[in-house]
Amino acid sequence: MSPTPARPPPALPDDVVEEVLARFPPDDPALLVRTALVCKDWCRLLSGPGFRRRFRRFHRKPPLLFYIYHCATLIYYKPTSSFRPLHPASPDWNILNARHGRFLVLNVTSPAPSMEAEFIVWDPTTDEQHRLPMPPFEYTSWNAALLCAAAGCDHSDCPWGPFLVVFVFARSSEEGMMSACVYSSELARSLEGADLRSPRRNAIYFGCHIKTGVLEYDLGKQELSMVGLPPLTYWTHFVLMTAEDGGLGFASVQGSKLCLWSRVAGGPGGSATWVQQRAIELDNVLPVRDPSMSPNVYTVAVAGELGVVFIWADGELFTIDLRSGQIEKVGNGISGSGFVPYTNFYTPGTETSHHPFYP
Amino acid sequence: MAAADSCDGISTSGGGWEKTVTLVSSDDARFEVREAAASLSQTVRRMIRAGGDGGIPLPKVDARTLSTVLEYCNKHAAVPAPAPESSSAEAAAVDLEWFDKELMHVDLATLCSLIRAADYLEVAGLLDLTCKTVADMIKSKTAEEIRQMFGIQNDFTPEEEEQLSRENAGVFE
Repeated sequence: MSPTPARPPPALPDDVVEEVLARFPPDDPALLVRTALVCKDWCRLLSGPGFRRRFRRFHRKPPLLFYIYHCATLIYYKPTSSFRPLHPASPDWNILNARHGRFLVLNVTSPAPSMEAEFIVWDPTTDEQHRLPMPPFEYTSWNAALLCAAAGCDHSDCPWGPFLVVFVFARSSEEGMMSACVYSSELARSLEGADLRSPRRNAIYFGCHIKTGVLEYDLGKQELSMVGLPPLTYWTHFVLMTAEDGGLGFASVQGSKLCLWSRVAGGPGGSATWVQQRAIELDNVLPVRDPSMSPNVYTVAVAGELGVVFIWADGELFTIDLRSGQIEKVGNGISGSGFVPYTNFYTPGTETSHHPFYP
Repeated sequence: MAAADSCDGISTSGGGWEKTVTLVSSDDARFEVREAAASLSQTVRRMIRAGGDGGIPLPKVDARTLSTVLEYCNKHAAVPAPAPESSSAEAAAVDLEWFDKELMHVDLATLCSLIRAADYLEVAGLLDLTCKTVADMIKSKTAEEIRQMFGIQNDFTPEEEEQLSRENAGVFE
């Protein structure tokens, strides 16, 4: 065959340009930003909602862009991609958790006393912040979590949608001394009885270390209850997750194994019971000589959308892919306190919707 | 018909009883292809189902591009589905990977024609292969190098370009 003569490439339709650029790795969004500088047409394409949808659909799992952890009174930010937030987390923030691309933050410098502390829901890719007050409850301990409130959402692209924040408060470890309330971003206030008359039965779970259990809040019934845990060696080191069957699950390092448990029906009298579904051997895969002998190997977080569990092992941080069992080192020299991974897609224009070049 | 002649492996296979279809390119070259191979194109598959005489017209694909698309389809349709994790499955996968790599040793203009054809013909595997190849070519290039590759004019004013670069400098390293 004769050598192909050099000829100018045919112009590619917008759809095809998007198809090509959607193959860029999602953990290197700087490539997309650089490519948006080619011309206004490409800039418009890459910053449009069509490309964003295509990019998400193609890659499916949102990449780990960075993680945050707290040490003493300081907050540390560790990038795992080329993404950098427009504004870093404030040193006065206590990052509680993240879900579907947004952090739930306690702003510890709220001007009001602790009863009126302020929360911030923060999307670092858009730098959007939504502030809400701490509900006026009496408590000795509390916890809070963020939920997507968009009806029928598949959570593939909901960082801009409405959200709920579920607060739980305890005056003591007794069940009757616990209460909960739900804040709605759509109503800009806490939900009342009538607002919650929803046919869906959704529950949210909080790890509760006082009673070695899981605190369940049923949003449909507006009920709080305690779910016991099976006997574990290091019971303080478990992370709650959605089990493979879609129900409640948790992961914990026991001996030299990462054990994955799920709560299934089939206990006495038809009640739910815990079943250990899988155990992933950590011996020989972590750089710890014998994980079963080390109390310093434990789970610190789960990135459910990414399907990985984060494990802290003697000064180093690893991810374990629950499907493939593949282990990857993502950091070292950190403490495991207040560790929150951040997974999301970033496409150009996300943070600069005001920009004249972006539609 | 030079293009059709240069494309090997598109005639009916040894036994001669395998069902074939005729595809007609935009420049009227006719390609007789095994139906199993042609059906890797969802567009062609739909047209086969719809029926008709005198070959399936593909007015958006020229003979040169179509011959490469069919080379891909013939190779990929010929691979039986072996038991996973068997040594023959592994060998077949390696062979297919090598074939795909060789097929992509063409210039950018040919690649772009292949992407358009794979998109129009809905050959998912070839679309993915060609898009990934071009994406890999672009990935390591500066904006100016990408403009040169595709013959694109920079329509940003220097001020706009500077503003965009400045804004993104803080966001990315």
